[in-house]
Amino acid sequence: MPYLDPYTPTLTARTAAHLLRRATFGPTPPEIAAFTGRTAAQAVQTLLANVNLSPPQPVDLDDAQATVGQPFLQNATTPAGDYIAYVGLRNSDFGNYIKYWWLNLMIQPGPVNLLDKLTLFWQNHFVTTREITNDYRFVWSYLTLLRTNALGNFRDLVTKMTKEPAMLRYLNGDMNEVGTGKANENYARELQELFTVGTVDAAGNANYTEDDVRNAARVLTGWKYTNYTKEASTNFATTFTSTKHDSTAKTFSGKYNNTVIAGRTGATAGDLELTDLVTMLLNHPQTARFICRKLYRWYVNDTVTADIETNVIVPLAQFFVAGNYQIQPIVQKLLTSQIFYDEANIGAMIKSPTEFVVGTVRFFQLPIAPLTAPYAPFRKTMEYLYGKIRDLQLDLLDQPTVFGYDPYYQTGYSKLWSNTNTMAVRSDISDRLTNGQLIYLTTYLDIAPLTRAVALQPNFGDISVSNSVPPGTAPITCVQVLDSFLTNLLATDLVQVQKDFLIDTIMMQAIPRSTWEFEWNTYRRTVTYPGSYTTSAIANAKTAVNNRLKNLLKFLLRLAEYHVF
Amino acid sequence: MNRRNFLKSTSSLALPIALNGYSLNALARNSTLVQSLLMTNAAVADRILVVINVSGGNDGLNMVIPLDQYSAYNSLRSNIAIPQNKVLALTGNDATGLHPAMTGLQSLYNDGKLTVIHSVGYPNPDQSHQRSSDIWMTGVSSNQYADTGWAGRYLDDRYPGYPDAYPTAAMEDPLALQIGYLTSTTLLGPVQSMGIAINDPNSFYTLVGSATATPPDYLPCCDAGDKIAHIRQQQALSVGYAAQIKAAFDAGTTRATYPTAGQNSLADQLKIVARLIHGGLKTKIYFVSLGGFDTHSAQVDTADNSLGAHASLLGKLAGGIKVFQDDLALQGTADKVIGMTFSEFGRRATSNVSKGTDHGIAAPMFVFGQNVQHPTIGLNPDLSNLTVNSDGTKNIPMQIDFRRVYTDLLNDWFGVDVAKANTLLFKTSTTALEFPTVSLFSKVVETVKTGNWADKTVWSVGRKPFATEFVRVNAGHTLTVDTPLVVRNISLLGKIRYTGPFSIRVTG
Repeated sequence: MPYLDPYTPTLTARTAAHLLRRATFGPTPPEIAAFTGRTAAQAVQTLLANVNLSPPQPVDLDDAQATVGQPFLQNATTPAGDYIAYVGLRNSDFGNYIKYWWLNLMIQPGPVNLLDKLTLFWQNHFVTTREITNDYRFVWSYLTLLRTNALGNFRDLVTKMTKEPAMLRYLNGDMNEVGTGKANENYARELQELFTVGTVDAAGNANYTEDDVRNAARVLTGWKYTNYTKEASTNFATTFTSTKHDSTAKTFSGKYNNTVIAGRTGATAGDLELTDLVTMLLNHPQTARFICRKLYRWYVNDTVTADIETNVIVPLAQFFVAGNYQIQPIVQKLLTSQIFYDEANIGAMIKSPTEFVVGTVRFFQLPIAPLTAPYAPFRKTMEYLYGKIRDLQLDLLDQPTVFGYDPYYQTGYSKLWSNTNTMAVRSDISDRLTNGQLIYLTTYLDIAPLTRAVALQPNFGDISVSNSVPPGTAPITCVQVLDSFLTNLLATDLVQVQKDFLIDTIMMQAIPRSTWEFEWNTYRRTVTYPGSYTTSAIANAKTAVNNRLKNLLKFLLRLAEYHVF
Repeated sequence: MNRRNFLKSTSSLALPIALNGYSLNALARNSTLVQSLLMTNAAVADRILVVINVSGGNDGLNMVIPLDQYSAYNSLRSNIAIPQNKVLALTGNDATGLHPAMTGLQSLYNDGKLTVIHSVGYPNPDQSHQRSSDIWMTGVSSNQYADTGWAGRYLDDRYPGYPDAYPTAAMEDPLALQIGYLTSTTLLGPVQSMGIAINDPNSFYTLVGSATATPPDYLPCCDAGDKIAHIRQQQALSVGYAAQIKAAFDAGTTRATYPTAGQNSLADQLKIVARLIHGGLKTKIYFVSLGGFDTHSAQVDTADNSLGAHASLLGKLAGGIKVFQDDLALQGTADKVIGMTFSEFGRRATSNVSKGTDHGIAAPMFVFGQNVQHPTIGLNPDLSNLTVNSDGTKNIPMQIDFRRVYTDLLNDWFGVDVAKANTLLFKTSTTALEFPTVSLFSKVVETVKTGNWADKTVWSVGRKPFATEFVRVNAGHTLTVDTPLVVRNISLLGKIRYTGPFSIRVTG
């Protein structure tokens, strides 16, 4: 059976597309072409080498503001670690612009890389939300921490995340103090349940006790943050107040080998005990498995069988621990493994809303309005795409609960993305993009199937004006159109009867295929010799072929097959 | 569901079908033909359950307040305690009051349309949101795991073969319906959710109404084929049901005055439910939710403990239920609808310093509708006898297992037999309910075991019978009576042992 051993064949278009669908939010056709013929190791190396940890910062997208087009977090003159003065009135706008900034990175204006797909994994793991975090600088600091450490060290990430102002705020870590009734266990519980050891092991045994929750809360007492939504403030920080820290020893249960974390006093007490706590959590045998299992569900297959647990999760977790919890090596190992490319795992999951929406924008290379004045076309484009993704139940940076989006943890997993409601909304979105969705004034998101068909026709104008003379260059056929539209579109193959159905029932609506060639040639003539036709004849000829192409493409994007990846 | 089979089967029953848009004739379901195909008797067959998920872990102790122990209550949580003079009084019940934001439920209680079930939970409680939600939704013990929801199992048993064989002539409507985008674990059946999700009947119909033909149903192998089949099923179900839902929505009206849309999300959801019920949709279970109850901090206003985040949520809960119940009464559908609330756990009895409460154990549940028979089940938690955590904070222990409530809903409301009610909750007895009744729908307070009359655990309702209640001592039970008693009436199938010259007076 194929497991974690390296996958050595060079990538075909099919396997290259599989890698790109999983490691990014979906490939463009040129990216598939570029990755075809490389080995998996080379391809993943490229996805890593192209990572840009410091892309240009978000800018103000409101054309009515004097600061439009300028960064609102940090610019060239901001002292290191500081921020541009906080503006409360713009808090909501700037929070949204950070979401749009991230969404735009997912669409990837630059060279294709795997960072933001992995960052979303971690953001959905260490959940905080814009709504509760509120201060846009806190949101930015948190997202930056995730992006810069997504491929780094898990121990560092857990430690830093524990002290991150957004997290202190989201899970009430700042309210956790020494003294009777002053504990707030919220973070201490989620740190164990969701961020490190997980609730139960594969056999269903609890990984920690309620007393472990209370003791972890005691370890974590004393942390605060400063300058939250403080008007005009130019920095904020995490602070530790030793007088609010529980300086007595904390004894954990047998689940943690009865670890005792010595009580500390003074300014360094919080950090020293946190280091001990993270060490204890990472020494728990379930932590590495919990993370590796979740990564497997993210990248490979949301079904984890006992066989996969034994032969993939357990060895990957051992590799994770042996590598001192470095993240990049396990991601690399997984994306170049035989199990990743196993035929049974291609198309094995249902696309999330980002994979569906961003993937569609990327696959059809829909142009995104440039990030220049006026900024409204860009902003409205991001608003539209963000809104659709949210309607499909993935509100970027605003998970419904600390557990993250339901389909990444609830029974059913990726199937939960698909129900009567969301499938109806998905169809509506793909129909609109096929018809051409007006975004703002003259800005459209338009798949433009007719333009794509015209590009398929060699020597488009090589045709006589007379319909009694055979065209110099033969017309493209229904089969050519369908084959072109299907190239690398789906993760799984259609069978002939399905293709025939798509042509005969959907595209041709039960009339002969030869009618298409007749209609297509008529369209070529009206475009090539517009002076010879009435305005309405020209319009009719275009409508005839355009409707067939739109019907076909709309149906292709409504196919269940389009929604698995 | 295979829609071609669906069309074929429905065509053979000569139901009118419009092929473009698949709108089935709404009258069809009321036809004598369809009625004659209904399996169970009409009264039980028409019954509806509305489940309200109060998600996040609701602070029950600030919702249902033990006035009989007010000072103990206040000392557990002085920074968030509701002032005694603001607590809403309940008719005929001096011991207990409601949060001041819950006037709607106060009125239902006083009208006999609300049952407060105290301290509901399960043994060996889990304080993880996810795990505890799963326990409530799947209906298991805390050391047990299940992949199906309790209501999903019930529907699967009543409508075997869903979704492949549905809609049918006898059940053209969704079995269960959730207002929202995702379906709850509660409704999960063995194959998939037994419910469908809609956010708004009109937009749902518009969205799915443009569906076209069905492609050949070839499936690739393995997980991909499984996922593709699932998506196709959702697409087909949405087409199959959209017209039915829209027809019921158009036929129904709401008669009560709901809050302006957007002010109370629960009321907005229940308004859709009421209209669908009035429109004749035969859906058996509706699932709606109100989130935001995970109040680790700032659950009360800084200046006034009776206001703030939790008050606002409880106001929505009470207001939503009240207007919905009023609507049902005005529509004339109240006799066939029962509602329940549940939350994954209650919160700590002791408040924290952040004016919030951490995760706890048991909490009250509400059951509402004109068919409830007792205003209270169980007693206020005994605040002098709480579970103490290692850090000194205190938890409210369980009195009533939530599966006893489910049992009454299954056995009495939906009419499944004893063996089936047990099976649906993973129990095996064919003769006795393993989670005893709480007499939710019965006037009679009955014994569930042998013991002293004064012992609350002897009684189905988790407390001694009131003087106004009917009592039954079940066969095989012996009750010890050591004080004079008054009841409305008593049926003696078991035995009573008097320890002295006492008697039981029957007022009749």
